[in-house]
Order: sequence, then structure tokens, then C-alpha cells
Amino acid sequence: MINIENISKSYKGVQVLNIPELTIPKGQSFGLVGNNGAGKTTLFSLLLDLIEPSSGQITNNGVAVHLSEDWKPWTSAFIDESFLIGYLTAEEYFYFIGDLRGVSKNEIDEFLAPFEDFFHGEILNQKKYLRDLSKGNQKKAGIVAALIGKPEIIILDEPFANLDPTTQIKLKKLLKQLSEEEQVTILISSHDLMHVTDVCERIVAIEKGEIQKDLEKTQATLKELEEFFER
Amino acid sequence: MVAKFLQLEWKQFSRSSYFAKGLGIKILMIFLFIYFSACAGLMGFGFFYIVKEALPEQDPLVFLSSYLLFWILADLAIRFFWQQLPIMNIKPLMILPIKKNKVVHYLLGKSVFSFFNLYPILFFVPLAGVLIYNSYGVLSVLVWLLNIMLVSLSLNFINFIINKNNTYFYSIIALIVVAFLVNYYQLVDFNAVSTQIFYPLYTLQWTLILPVFLLVLVYKINYSYILNQFSLDGVVGKKSEIVETKELNFLNRFGATAPFLKNDFRMIWRNVRPKQVLFTGVLFLFYGLIFFTQDIYADKDYVIIFAGIFVTGGFLITFGQYVPSWDSEYYKLMMSQNIPYKQYLESKWLLISTGCVIATVLSIPYIYFGTKIYAIIFAGAIFNIGMNSFITLYGGALNRVPIQLNVKAKAFENTQGFNLTQFLIGLPKMLLPIIVFLIPYYFFGLKAGLIGLAGTGVLGILLKNPIMKLIEKTYQKGKYKTIAAFSEK
Repeated sequence: MINIENISKSYKGVQVLNIPELTIPKGQSFGLVGNNGAGKTTLFSLLLDLIEPSSGQITNNGVAVHLSEDWKPWTSAFIDESFLIGYLTAEEYFYFIGDLRGVSKNEIDEFLAPFEDFFHGEILNQKKYLRDLSKGNQKKAGIVAALIGKPEIIILDEPFANLDPTTQIKLKKLLKQLSEEEQVTILISSHDLMHVTDVCERIVAIEKGEIQKDLEKTQATLKELEEFFER
Repeated sequence: MVAKFLQLEWKQFSRSSYFAKGLGIKILMIFLFIYFSACAGLMGFGFFYIVKEALPEQDPLVFLSSYLLFWILADLAIRFFWQQLPIMNIKPLMILPIKKNKVVHYLLGKSVFSFFNLYPILFFVPLAGVLIYNSYGVLSVLVWLLNIMLVSLSLNFINFIINKNNTYFYSIIALIVVAFLVNYYQLVDFNAVSTQIFYPLYTLQWTLILPVFLLVLVYKINYSYILNQFSLDGVVGKKSEIVETKELNFLNRFGATAPFLKNDFRMIWRNVRPKQVLFTGVLFLFYGLIFFTQDIYADKDYVIIFAGIFVTGGFLITFGQYVPSWDSEYYKLMMSQNIPYKQYLESKWLLISTGCVIATVLSIPYIYFGTKIYAIIFAGAIFNIGMNSFITLYGGALNRVPIQLNVKAKAFENTQGFNLTQFLIGLPKMLLPIIVFLIPYYFFGLKAGLIGLAGTGVLGILLKNPIMKLIEKTYQKGKYKTIAAFSEK
């Protein structure tokens, strides 16, 4: 589904990311871990063609992301608050995303119904702009919006940060179900090794922009990761 | 303590992002500041003599008094849109051992140092000098001057009260409109009312206590309001507005661009900054009055053509020049969602053009000045839609200054979303119409000139698709730079 070939990114001569080769097959739940500044967000931004690669290319289902816009219909993401439109209410925002992905208003209402529990009554029908919601609630709205329109690839940067424990557990269930039952390719990054090992089948650790570990999840994975980061 | 505050203030000012901008902008801003200050000062000096010359039988001071009421209303409206409330980052100060009332007094006191309080001084002080020179009573004039200054200062604080509540604002706008209408049809002579209120400030010296009382009152109201806000709830807890959701279904007829149009409508309606810009755009509608009412321009068609472009181009110029900065807060979403650039740009073009069409309809009253004038406006409108709209969008590709939607632009610090490239891109919008008008006009007369102007516009509309393709390519090319610039805060 996603092919990374010789991708690198440098800012003013300083290399922040260098990945010779990485392939993520369809339906895989892929976790990216690393310390601050390791290059997680840089990689995701490259996947979404938000920054220009210094070399190499990324293909998404055969489409080179920096050459064509054709990958957009099946790819969705929530990276940070700049993916929210602050002056809309949550509903208006969902409808807007729905419009962009060819999902009608009624279908959106149907789609949102199962999330009532996830939203905990703090997002829908609040008569509040998104910019006035708390950080956690903004994140919930952003994550759910990224699920609209049955995307084949979902990219989430730090989805567990700022969420309360109940929501974290619900989100983990949701992500697992999406990848197992609907063959959605899920890419998440996190600082929390537990969450990542919980959700993902494959975990990649990066450090200074380079891949240090590439693990299929087993019983020993968490331990191995903890040892890697304990220095 | 105040010195410490001032030090913080200076750091905030000198280290803010807009101050780090190019030297050109700084010079331009300083130039504008001096220009407007000089204008106010010269007006102050000249006012007495101009009125004396124009209306020899009237006392200029009485004449001035008869308009002061309108000045107050206009001043309030302008302050509402451009004057920034005194904001200080008080959250970190709350846990430090500083007396609350000191901070509040400082905040309010600081607001006095604003251009909106400077220009009355620049205007009224020279005027008072001229009055004394022309043997008005020295004491009376000085008391009058003090009175006016106090009123102006009170306006400074009244503005804050208005700012907290939209109803106040709309009532003031309504008041202005009603006053003008009532005055125009001479139901009530507001000029006479104004004279009755303000002339006594000159003749009766005891009236000085009234503005003093007013100033103290509005200061107290503000003081207690801010003091109340001075708690975690008030500062940290964001105040959230209750939202009225409108479906805006009438926009669905625009098909694929409808979602974007709906967004833009909401964006304009729900954010401070675009509202401010919209208001400025509406003011452009009245631009023609400056030219069409004066006989010296009556036979200078090439000057009137300028007015023609501006009357219908207000929204295009003020709103259009900030595309795509309007979406800077969520530009990453726009760039990674399922949105082709083409549709995005198309919707912006539609919005700008609709603004022109609405302005064209609203400018129908200009027929009062003759069909020739309206023909010029109409031709200007076609040019705006068919040519200037594209130039504006093209210029947007080079515009990489983020805009904070819900923060007011400051007067003279309005460098947010403004840069020299923007200015240079703006030039063709003014020069091109002159060229396509003037050449046929010079050889074949007015009709040919208008055909040249409108024809260029029609040509632009016919060539819309290839032109939009070109613009789209330019946007694509600058995409990464724009995203990077917009994510800098």
C-alpha cells in the first residue's frame, strides 16, 4: 500500500530523516515510536505531501504522492489542530469533510451514531465552535473526522495524547477493529510504548531520522522497546 | 513596577513576528503614520479658514459643533473595528505578588497610547490655536479644548464596553443610519441638536464637569469589569459563544464548490478579522462620492475610471488580497483532504465575483450622478470580475503570511497578511484598467474606452479556464513554502 524509497529530508544541510526502504502492506496497523525530534511527524508530513522530500519518493497505492493528487480520496489524517476548522461546530465540520468525500449529510448522521459513546456527550449538539472545545475533545473530533468516507489509509499523529483513559481504551478498540475487520491501513505515532504495542501489529522505532528497530509484534516486543529506549 | 511592565511590553513588541518583517514594510508604516498625522494636523490648522471661506456668514466653531455628534459616532465605529483592546498576557502575572488593581490600571492606562487618541489632539490643538489667534476668548477656547479631549478619551473607554457586546455595536450602527436619514429628510435637525450639545462646551465653562464625570464613569465601569475578569475563570476559561447554525442550503446550487462557499460564509461571519475586512470593503462603495460630487473631476474621465474600479472592487481588493491566508489556520487540512486545488480556487473566484456583483447592484444609486457615471462603474465591475479577480488570485499564490482569524488587525500595525510582494501584485489592478481604458479613449472617445475596459473583462471571463489552470499551477509550485509559512505562528 505504501512504499517508501530512499526518502530523506534535510533542513539547511541537517538531515532529519533518512529511510532507504520501508513498505507497509494493506491492512497493516503500523506504529511509529521515537523520542522528540526523531522524525515521526516529518515522516507523516512527507506521506501527506505537506513537505517536499529532499530525495526519494513515497508511493501510496502506486501513486507518487509528490507528483499527483490522486492519493487523496483514499487517504485521511489527523496530525494536529491545524486539521480542524476552528470556527465551525463539530457537526458542521463533519458535514464539511463528508462533502469533500462524497458522503451525504444523512450518511454522516448515521456514521456518527455509534460514536455517541466515544464523544461522551461533549461534542455533538453543543452549540460550540471547535476552537472553544477542550484539547481532548478537539482531538476526538479530529480523529473521528479522519474516519469519514471509508478511507483505506488513516494516519494519526499522537492519537492518544490529551485523551482521558476511557477514551484511550475505546480508541484502541476502534483502531484494532478497523484494521482487522475492514482491512484499513493504520499508521499511528506515539510516545507511549504500551499503547502502540497494544494496537499495532508492527512497530518501528526511529532515532535521529533513521530506523533503529522494525518489529513484528510478539510477547517480547514491549520489553525490547523499553530496553531500546532505556539509555 | 510600571517600568517592569513597560519592559515586558517592549520585548513583546520588538520580538513579535511582524516586527521582524522587511525594512520596506517598516518604512511604509512609518510613512503612513506620519502622513495621517500630518493630515490631521493640517486639517486642524486649515479648518477655521476653510469654513470661513466656504460659509462666510457662519461661525466656524458653531459649524464644527453641529457635526461633533456625527464625529463621535463615526469615531466609535472606526475604533470598534480597528482599535485593539488592551491585552496583556496576565496569566503568568496572576501567581506573582503584584496587586491586581495595579495591573488593571496599567492595562487601562496603556490603552490611552493609541493613534485613535492621538489624532484628536493633532486636529483640535492646532484648531484651538487658530481660534485664539482669531480672538476667541482664550479661557473659553482652552476649556472647550479640554472638554473635547475628555470626550475623546471617554470614547476610548466606551469602545471597550461596546466591544464586549455586539448589541451595543449594532445599536450604534443603527443610530448612525437613523440619524443620517432623519437628518437628510429634516425630520429632526441633528446638526442643531449637536450644536446645542457641543457649543455650550465653549460658552459655559462650568460644563467642564460633565465630560470629567463621563470619563470617570466609563473608566470605573471598565475597571470593575477587568478586575472581575482577573481570575482564572475569566482569563483561562475561554468564553465560548453560543452558535447559531444555519444550513446555507441555498448555496447548494453551486455544486462542487458549495461546501467551500458555505465555509467562507461562516468564516466571514464568525471571525473578527474577516468582518473587519468586509466592513472596509463596504466603505469602498462610497469612494465614488469623493469624485462624483466634485465638479473638478466632472470632465476628467480618466480619474473617474479609478473610482469606477474601486466602487465595485472593495471586497475584491480587501478580501481577495488575503487569499489563501484566510485558510492559513487549517491549511494542512485543506492540502491533505480530498480537495483538488482547482475547486478550492474556483470557489474563491466565485466568492470574489459575487462580491463584485453585489457591489454593482448596491451602486445603482450612483445613477443619480448621471448614466455616464454608472456606465463607468458598470464597465469597471466587468473588468473587476473578468480580470482583477484573476490578478488577485494569482497574487495570492505569492502571499505567505498567516492570518489569525479571530484577532483584530491593529491600526498601523496591519502588517499581518501584508507584504511588499502583495503591494507590487496590487499595482496591475490599478494600472491595467487605466491602460485598457485610456488607449481607446484617447483615439475614439469615452464609449470606446468603456468598451475597451469592459471588453477586457469579458475576454477574461471567456478565458477563465486556461487562466485558472495557470493560477492553479502557480499555487501548486508554491505549495510547500506556503504550508511551511502558514504553520509558523
